[in-house]
Amino acid sequence: MRTNKMTKSTKIFLTLLSTAGLLASCGEQASQVEETAVVVDTGPRTYTEAQSDAGAEAYTANCATCHGDDLQGTPLGLPLSGEDFMVRWGNQTAGSLVASARTNMPPGGSQTLTDTDYNNIVAHILASNGMIRGSTELTESSNILIAAYVADSAPAPDPQFTPPPPPTGLVVSGTVEDYVAITDEMLRNPDPADWPMIRRNFFAHSYSPLDEINTDNVQDLQLEWVWSMKDGASEPAPLVYDGIIYLINSGNIIQALDARNGELIWEHHTGPANNQDMRNIAIYEDKIIQATTDARLVALDARTGEMVWETIVADRSKGFSNSSGPIVADGKIIQGQAGCGRYIPEACYLTAHDATTGERLWGFDTIAREGEPGGDTWGGLDNLYRAGGETWITGSYDPELRLTYWGTAQQKPWAPPSRNMTINDVGLYTNSTVAVNIDTGELDWYFQHVPAEALDLDEVFERILVDRGDQKLVLSIGKHGILWKNDRVTGEFLGYTETVFQNAFTNIDPDTGLVTYREDIQNAQLNEWIPVCPSSAGGKDWHSMTYHEPTGTIVAPLSQTCLENSAREVALVEGNGGGASSRVFFEMPGSDGNLGKLGAYNVDTLEEVWNFQQRASYHTGTVSTAGNLVFVGDLDRWFRAHDVTTGEVLWEKRLGTSVQGHPIVFAIDGKQYIGVTTALGGTSPRTVPRVIAPEIQHPDNGNALYVFSLPD
Amino acid sequence: MKLINKFAALLIMMYLMNSLAFAQPTTYRARLSEVPVSPQTYRDITGVGEVFTTLNGATLTVSGNFEGMSSAATAAHVHSAPPAMNGPPIGALEPETSASGEVTGELELTAEQVEALRNNELYIVIHSENNPGGELRGWLFFRES
Repeated sequence: MRTNKMTKSTKIFLTLLSTAGLLASCGEQASQVEETAVVVDTGPRTYTEAQSDAGAEAYTANCATCHGDDLQGTPLGLPLSGEDFMVRWGNQTAGSLVASARTNMPPGGSQTLTDTDYNNIVAHILASNGMIRGSTELTESSNILIAAYVADSAPAPDPQFTPPPPPTGLVVSGTVEDYVAITDEMLRNPDPADWPMIRRNFFAHSYSPLDEINTDNVQDLQLEWVWSMKDGASEPAPLVYDGIIYLINSGNIIQALDARNGELIWEHHTGPANNQDMRNIAIYEDKIIQATTDARLVALDARTGEMVWETIVADRSKGFSNSSGPIVADGKIIQGQAGCGRYIPEACYLTAHDATTGERLWGFDTIAREGEPGGDTWGGLDNLYRAGGETWITGSYDPELRLTYWGTAQQKPWAPPSRNMTINDVGLYTNSTVAVNIDTGELDWYFQHVPAEALDLDEVFERILVDRGDQKLVLSIGKHGILWKNDRVTGEFLGYTETVFQNAFTNIDPDTGLVTYREDIQNAQLNEWIPVCPSSAGGKDWHSMTYHEPTGTIVAPLSQTCLENSAREVALVEGNGGGASSRVFFEMPGSDGNLGKLGAYNVDTLEEVWNFQQRASYHTGTVSTAGNLVFVGDLDRWFRAHDVTTGEVLWEKRLGTSVQGHPIVFAIDGKQYIGVTTALGGTSPRTVPRVIAPEIQHPDNGNALYVFSLPD
Repeated sequence: MKLINKFAALLIMMYLMNSLAFAQPTTYRARLSEVPVSPQTYRDITGVGEVFTTLNGATLTVSGNFEGMSSAATAAHVHSAPPAMNGPPIGALEPETSASGEVTGELELTAEQVEALRNNELYIVIHSENNPGGELRGWLFFRES
């Protein structure tokens, strides 16, 4: 049936977008969708029943392992149905979904899937979402928006079970009594009893000065209480301020708990109710600040959980998202960005927002555009095709220098031939440390660790700031497993050490840090398999490392896996992009099958002080304490305390499922506690061990916060 | 000039062979694990193993075991390439033709191959009926006695 009016279902979809706040912020985008909706409704909806039937079989064989039999997603892959799918793909064409699937899926590549199979699989996805079939076959050239396939009338609900809609807003009311607003000074010098930001302080030390629990008594540590959390993908970094734990759950749920006993005070569902990983929230003055997975910033009243303000950071429908929250530097909320892999006109940026109102103060583009400084490092590509450079891990901050330090992700697609570039097109400011002035948003300096990154090994993770004598240092480890040391005033390279085996580079200049890729990596062509260590699970990944100041030691959770990468072709067409490689994974030679490595490094000499290796990969950051302890958790459900000077295991406890997130250390009335979360998801650091060490089993639920203490 | 080069090469070769003849036997070990896998293939490429090799002069004696492969072993080889890289086979081993079993063999190595072994640049591959390109693989590393 053809009509020149907007269908009811299309209206519903536009309402959905409007509800998400997307139309309000993006007038140009809104008119585009509305205009297209009219055009679409007069054209054919192009996929056939035969295609969707054939696609169901191909989907089961090639896609269901990661995306689920019912397309609802799993810890290995995103949902391909429901609201999450529609928001992500609704205003993309069906043809672009075919192109994206062929470019990026399945992750290990396929010798057997044909173009017809990809067309059929997308037809199955459309059919599974209840979308209208057409009279002609779906192909990559189909230029009708997926939103236009929405059925005129929704399918009848199952009479026996209709799942209730997820709750939204403030669903549990309560008040944090005697709340005192947290100031800049309190963030600069946190009370020893508090853990008021991810990694505890602006310098990202993940270190607590508390020492009641120490090497002499840690063996007596016992469970104080446990709080079950919303199941799903999650990498939580709880906050503790004045006896209250502020906790982010999967599905954009924020809770305030009494840290003494785990009693719930308030709970706010900021939405969307999805299954995407998120790490941290921030606290400032009387607000809890959250970056939602759909690229909004939300401020909740820390006392009551009520919404204070919200603002849109980026357009979710373009692929933008958040997986980490902000840092608050002198009243400015500084927020990174994820999901910059598509070929779209929009840039990838860091933004600063007023903490009182959410108003955007400045933005710093991590991708140099034509005509800008560094703009000539992208091989002459049009701005539209310059992708990547995400800042998906929260940065750190030096209040004296007024500089915030962030790691940036690599160019997209992952390999130079896929992005129509060469190994000489370094692509500023990707895979770099960027030092940005918090007042102006201007770049103060940058250091590009791995120019023209070629194997999905980004250098995006936390920057640890360390003062040693007169030296002001910034240290980081990226997926290559190289511990980099730079001067944080100037960016000058000061040294490096390899924490795990790497064979991507044949040389790292000891004076400049300039890396030289292996020759076969430099010359890699499309569809050529290139082996490399470490893998995209990272020699180190998002799990933050700790700096134990009393011993001058960094202790890092590391991973020992490798991959073979084969770059796929990506057409220079708006909306394309992505990762675009086939990958297969294997144990790191010489690791004896130990995927997990805990490595301790002296920050002066960069020499390895000790290491502890085990089969199971690590899935929490490390935290250290003045009690000379390091805490860390793993895939095999163990949470352990090590001696920070030797690595010896002093205490361990097995928890409900994989131990994942960012442990915390805090005190109430002088009594010290250790908290840690169990969780699922976690992206490639989980998906890679899952195929290399499948014998490690854990429940597919059991997200929780565990709190330990010594007996009274 | 060519004659001098040939003579120098001969001297080096004689030195290396002499060194090999009087060297103590050295032991190397490889953990065998699955060849590269993906979410689509990891259920079909399975198993684990351990191989010890002793180098006595230029003779490499191989003895090991494997278990849990997806199907019976069909062949095994020693290959030459740096860790994590792919390289050509340099000799055949004899695996039991079952999914779990032993693998043995003896190879005479060239001086170049001995040097590769000392640089961790030899690895072992066990092939199977389901995975003729290889199912288990592991690099040889020096093992403290």
